[in-house]
Amino acid sequence: MSPFPSTRSSPETRSSTRHGAGRPVSRWRLAGKLTALLAVALLPLACGDTRIHPNPSASTFGHRHDELFMLITALTGVSFLIVLAMMAVPIIRDRARPGKKAHYDHGSSLHDKRFTAIVSVVVFIVLDAWVLFVSVTDLREAWWNYPPADSEEAYRVEVLAQQWAWNFRTPGIDGEFGTADDVVTINQLTVPADRPIVLNAASKDVIHSFFVPDMRIKRDANPGSVNRVWFQTKPEAAGNDYQILCAELCGFAHYQMYANLTVLSQDDFADWEQDASALAVASFDADDTEAHWAWDFKE
Amino acid sequence: MIKATLALFAATAFATLPSGAANEEEDKSALLPPVHGVSPDNPHSRPPRDVPLVIFEDTQLLAADADDGHDEEDDYAPILFERLQAQFPDRFTWNEDEEHWVDARGEYTWDDENECYWQTVTAERLTRGRQDYVQLCASCHGFDGDGYGRSGQALRPPPRDFRQGLFKFTKVDSEKLPEDDALVQLVQEGLNGTPMLPWDIHENRIRDIVVYIKSLSLPELLDEDGEIEEDATGWRDPYGQIGVMVAADDDPWAGRETEAIAAGEAYYHNYQCYNCHPGYATTARMNELGGKDPSYTYRDGITLPKVVEDSSYEVLGYAVSIIPPDFTWHSMRRGETVADVYKTIAAGVGGAGMPTWKGSVPDEEIWAISYYVRHLTDTYKDKSATRMQFMRDVKAGH
Ligand code: HEC
Ligand code: HEC
Ligand SMILES: [Cu+2]
Repeated sequence: MSPFPSTRSSPETRSSTRHGAGRPVSRWRLAGKLTALLAVALLPLACGDTRIHPNPSASTFGHRHDELFMLITALTGVSFLIVLAMMAVPIIRDRARPGKKAHYDHGSSLHDKRFTAIVSVVVFIVLDAWVLFVSVTDLREAWWNYPPADSEEAYRVEVLAQQWAWNFRTPGIDGEFGTADDVVTINQLTVPADRPIVLNAASKDVIHSFFVPDMRIKRDANPGSVNRVWFQTKPEAAGNDYQILCAELCGFAHYQMYANLTVLSQDDFADWEQDASALAVASFDADDTEAHWAWDFKE
Repeated sequence: MIKATLALFAATAFATLPSGAANEEEDKSALLPPVHGVSPDNPHSRPPRDVPLVIFEDTQLLAADADDGHDEEDDYAPILFERLQAQFPDRFTWNEDEEHWVDARGEYTWDDENECYWQTVTAERLTRGRQDYVQLCASCHGFDGDGYGRSGQALRPPPRDFRQGLFKFTKVDSEKLPEDDALVQLVQEGLNGTPMLPWDIHENRIRDIVVYIKSLSLPELLDEDGEIEEDATGWRDPYGQIGVMVAADDDPWAGRETEAIAAGEAYYHNYQCYNCHPGYATTARMNELGGKDPSYTYRDGITLPKVVEDSSYEVLGYAVSIIPPDFTWHSMRRGETVADVYKTIAAGVGGAGMPTWKGSVPDEEIWAISYYVRHLTDTYKDKSATRMQFMRDVKAGH
């Protein structure tokens, strides 16, 4: 049964005493219920629930993402209010009143069409072009602005996704992939703070997506090809852990496919890399060729 | 007017389209075979096969070894029947003359010749187990249970080859086959730091999967004449022995943690765990702890693990090396609490060279070592200065 009282009585409601046939609906009651519903829906907002905000960005350019998000919210929010206001005018002005019939209009006059067209051009220029311009600028200046191929500063990581884990390979102290001192880890990535991190993502089996919400990056990891993505942690991210998630439904245990990103200060990281490489060399098995997956890093 | 709008949109889009987007497209089209084990031209990668999902035959699995009354602790039979009786009263009766249990439902049967109990698992149950196995586990453990599923390739440590009937972290004496409950618990808890996840599916489903996994450990065990080999393991082997999870009820060091850690440090270096795992003290201190001559020296790279090269774990016939964990570095696979660590050390790690310590070392000492190992893993969680400093100091002293 519909939660809202209806004037058209169905066979069931006719016999019921509450919604008796022909009983007039109280418009006020309906409005009251809707308002209550809206209030409940907005309650978390009003209480300042932090779950609806992302964590503050830990990467140097992540704030651009948040600003774009706020810009889109503001622009669409304002235009929504304008549209509401414009709808309210005819609803009130042209409604039926004692002694006055309601006024109907299909908006098909030349004047109306011209008005519609002008509004759409203005909306397009103000909303779409603005958002397009900002997002393209962001992509150019940040997300697609990879460190140069010969960058000494950049730290490179090969990410191999699989059902249902993340394999990471970092080049170790010799800076080259596919050597004995490569540090290979599962579900744990350790990176230096305040250096560009360039990642190559690929997959063993199905499509996965490498997602680090706190760094505001996300990139698909596909079988058979290598995708790039990069970020740079803020210096103050040192010592923190962040979540790495899979953002592409990849099978039954997709929800368990997450890894840990540890950011170390550059000094700590240098120590860490030293130890990790020594351990990697000690446990390297030259004959176990199958474990030596690596590819030419795609800059 | 509409046309003008569209044209304007197209113009704006074109004008703002960055050159980067075009590069991005080119890059994507350059297909690289990314992984050694997974590229199409890898001779080892096998074509996908049709997997029959239905099993037509009931199967017999070793349920319990004989209750010969000699070795109460090692006998799984009394424990199994005690548990079953609590669950299904009146179902089992003790046959005085023949000295074995009789199951009114006929699921558990006594084998006089081999002196063991068999459990008959219905085809229906195996089929259920197989279906879940294929959906959830086969991607790593392989459709045939060979540990070489598509996602399991190139993984180290490799996913278990279930045909071997060899297990590492079941907390059951590593020379015995694990009881069902041990496997169920393992699948529910997963193995930390490996892709073996904690599976939160219904226990009954896990039980069916476990029965199916057990049924896989057959073909390797028969020699050319179809006879069961002498050193066979697995649940189709009448000479197999099923063990129970190590109990960890009475912690002798409860409330004396600091003392236990200090004692554990001595025992750890005394029992030469550093032959495989790293040593966690300077040479001088290790000699002192181990009661050795001050001039005694240790293997090269004592602060690093010594890899076990010919383990029992094979991938395509190659015995992969197994790394004894460095407790300040690797995450403990099944060792959240001291009791967990105790169970793992006591039971040993099957097939990987880590011995069963229960029996050869007094319980109290294993407990102390567990406190110590657990303490070392705490430095693992501390990501920066302390851990680094701890190992720096140790290394400087060698
Ligand atoms: C993402 C890959 C993956 C999937 C999926 C997976 N496993 Fe595993 N499993 C592993 C790996 C890797 C190991 C070995 C870990 C080690 O040796 O430390 C393992 C080990 C095991 C072991 C042996 C543990 C021991 O003590 O030796 C059992 C039992 C097991 N898995 C059962 C299952 C079951 C049941 C499922 C399905 C519900 C499953 N696994 C799904 C990767 C996987
Ligand atoms: C012969 C070599 C060897 C010796 C001696 C040895 N271990 Fe091990 N140990 C191993 C190997 C190999 C593994 C890991 C197996 C694997 O990764 O699959 C292991 C695993 C462990 C684990 C399990 C860690 C986890 O992930 O849950 C603990 C705890 C442990 N050893 C403690 C000890 C202690 C304590 C001693 C001394 C009393 C000792 N080991 C002696 C080889 C050894
Ligand atoms: Cu995924």
